[in-house]
Amino acid sequence: MKDQTARDSVEIEITGLSKVFGQGAAAFSALSDIDLTIRTGEFFTLLGPSGCGKTTLLRVIAGFEQPSTGSLRINGREVAGKGPNARPVNTVFQNYALFPHMSVADNIGFGLKMLGKPRAEVAATTADMLRLVKMEEMAERKPAQISGGQQQRVALARALAPRPRVLLLDEPLSALDLKLRKEMQGELKRLQAETGITFIFVTHDQEEALTMSDRVAVMSAGRILQLGSPHEIYHAPRERFVADFIGDTNFMELPVARLEKGGAFVTLPGGSETRAELPEGLTPVIGEKVTVVIRPEQVQMAPPDAAEMTGTVESATFFGTDTHVHLRLSDGQGFILRRQNSARTEEPAPGAVMGLKLSPGALRVLRD
Amino acid sequence: MAEQRESHLWKWLLCTPALLVLVLAASGPLFIVLAYSFLTPGTMGGVRWEFSTEGWFRVFLQRDIFDPDEVRWNQAHLTIFWRSISLSLQTTIICAVLGFPTAWFIATRPPHRRALWLFLITIPFWTNLLIRTFAIQELIRNNGTINTLLMRTGIIDSPIQMMFTDFAVLLGMAYVFMPLMVLPLYAAMDKLDFRLVEAGYDLYASRIKVLWYVILPLVKPGFIAGSILVFIPSIGAYVTPRVLGGGRTMMLGNLIALQFGQGRNWPLGAALAVVMLVIVVTTLVLYLRWANREGGQVRV
Ligand SMILES: Nc1ncnc2c1ncn2[C@@H]1O[C@H](COP(=O)(O)OP(=O)(O)O)[C@@H](O)[C@H]1O
Ligand SMILES: [Mg+2]
Repeated sequence: MKDQTARDSVEIEITGLSKVFGQGAAAFSALSDIDLTIRTGEFFTLLGPSGCGKTTLLRVIAGFEQPSTGSLRINGREVAGKGPNARPVNTVFQNYALFPHMSVADNIGFGLKMLGKPRAEVAATTADMLRLVKMEEMAERKPAQISGGQQQRVALARALAPRPRVLLLDEPLSALDLKLRKEMQGELKRLQAETGITFIFVTHDQEEALTMSDRVAVMSAGRILQLGSPHEIYHAPRERFVADFIGDTNFMELPVARLEKGGAFVTLPGGSETRAELPEGLTPVIGEKVTVVIRPEQVQMAPPDAAEMTGTVESATFFGTDTHVHLRLSDGQGFILRRQNSARTEEPAPGAVMGLKLSPGALRVLRD
Repeated sequence: MAEQRESHLWKWLLCTPALLVLVLAASGPLFIVLAYSFLTPGTMGGVRWEFSTEGWFRVFLQRDIFDPDEVRWNQAHLTIFWRSISLSLQTTIICAVLGFPTAWFIATRPPHRRALWLFLITIPFWTNLLIRTFAIQELIRNNGTINTLLMRTGIIDSPIQMMFTDFAVLLGMAYVFMPLMVLPLYAAMDKLDFRLVEAGYDLYASRIKVLWYVILPLVKPGFIAGSILVFIPSIGAYVTPRVLGGGRTMMLGNLIALQFGQGRNWPLGAALAVVMLVIVVTTLVLYLRWANREGGQVRV
């Protein structure tokens, strides 16, 4: 569907952008030093905790807020100073913001009508959109007469109908229950593939970000901390915040024993040395402690004599497909291990001493 | 089921005091007025308990002074009816046109500032109506503030006649009744979800189109409530047309007062009062029907 050349071309280019609310002593910097390039046709996600500036960034792109500094180009054109109605960008609002006094069909056709398209075209596109989001039967209902999930679909159809270059989605699934959310996640991916429109998706749910996106930008306190594919973000977090925010992670403070090209050997509790990947440009001092991370599923149980380190089981939580084992390492640090379950595996008993083996290449040094 | 009926009964019981007040204070006098309109005027005012339709006859018609068999339309009364309706409609429209931006201004202030603006809007209500009306008179009379200023600055040579015109009455009524339009409009705007306005802009609507397609339909209940609140007291206005309009621009309220006072024709006054009620109710019903057909949210 998406051809390679279109994929590589730049849709949105943000350089040196910042947004300050208020003035003087009350000034609050909601966005700082944002540099961001979003490619045509990609599913791009802004991920971060509540209050980190995701909505603000989206509103700046949509044109509801003007940036305090920096430039914003959409499809190569500088859009600073242009209002939302002059940008080829549509928004799916967090609360849907459907017009309560219009029918579902009129909501969907609104954008085209405002663009001055002929009646016949508005009607035809509206019908197409109703079909696309499977809402044909509800065309004449008012928003108050349909369910939350259906309102969500209408909001999507309304934003897609004018065929924007970019669709902005502000936590569109957060109000839905789990089952519906999973369903809509698939639906969104399908719509994006079918329309080829660039999606910028905002969420504070790391799992949602990982499963849906082509690329993810992790934000905190108005800054983009790391940008990359879900795989990179998950497996190669550069900062403690990113590692902590995405999935469960073990942090350990370990001394550096010696350095190697691209890696450092750290001393594990119990004395054995193991290799940890170094982020680019970081050279730790030998003998000093660094923070290393390892994901709970990249640790295996082993007989104590074949293990790299040992821990005492404190508790174990059964999750069906896997079990989370909480351990206390020999030097007193807490540690979590995630073990795949089968019918024959036994639940670890509290108090038992367990040997641990780390997957090669799974240990990483963090930039603090 | 039984429980439901019980709670129903309870609801009616709770309503009783209000119903009692309504029946005694509203319907009671109304029936008295209706009864008086079919009686004979007493010589010193009041009524004699003799049935007569003369009061109703004289609402619309009049006899020739010299030839009692010659019956003509009561042109003076018809003019006053029409002026009352027309000035009240105009007042309502002026209040709506000026009240909308005012209410919008207040509704878009930061929340802690709105109370102040609402307070300023309602301040005139704290003063006696008569005093407010005299204040307007002071502004617009021939040697009042406006004319004096204009003549001093040499813009005009002789004062502009504003007192005792329809303009004066309109100005006074619009000023006096403005809060009754602004407050319900503000209430409607306060409930307005401004994200809908943003959604409108986002979907390529210009400011005017957002106003027309999104804001106005959503604050329509406020317009409807405001129009009713302004129109009803306008039709019955007494003080404002009396002070600012004088004898030349009499409205229904003044005509009724005249019949109960100097005219000493209580049955005619009572019949006129009933006519006024009919005008109000008819206008309301027509208006609400129209508003509902246009998709408003008020039900009759
Ligand atoms: N209009 C505004 N005026 C002042 N502060 C604001 C405004 N909008 C957002 N903020 C602040 O900016 C920060 C980021 O907000 P937001 O972008 O909504 O975060 P998110 O969507 O990631 O939860 C918050 O601390 C918020 O209080
Ligand atoms: Mg938000």
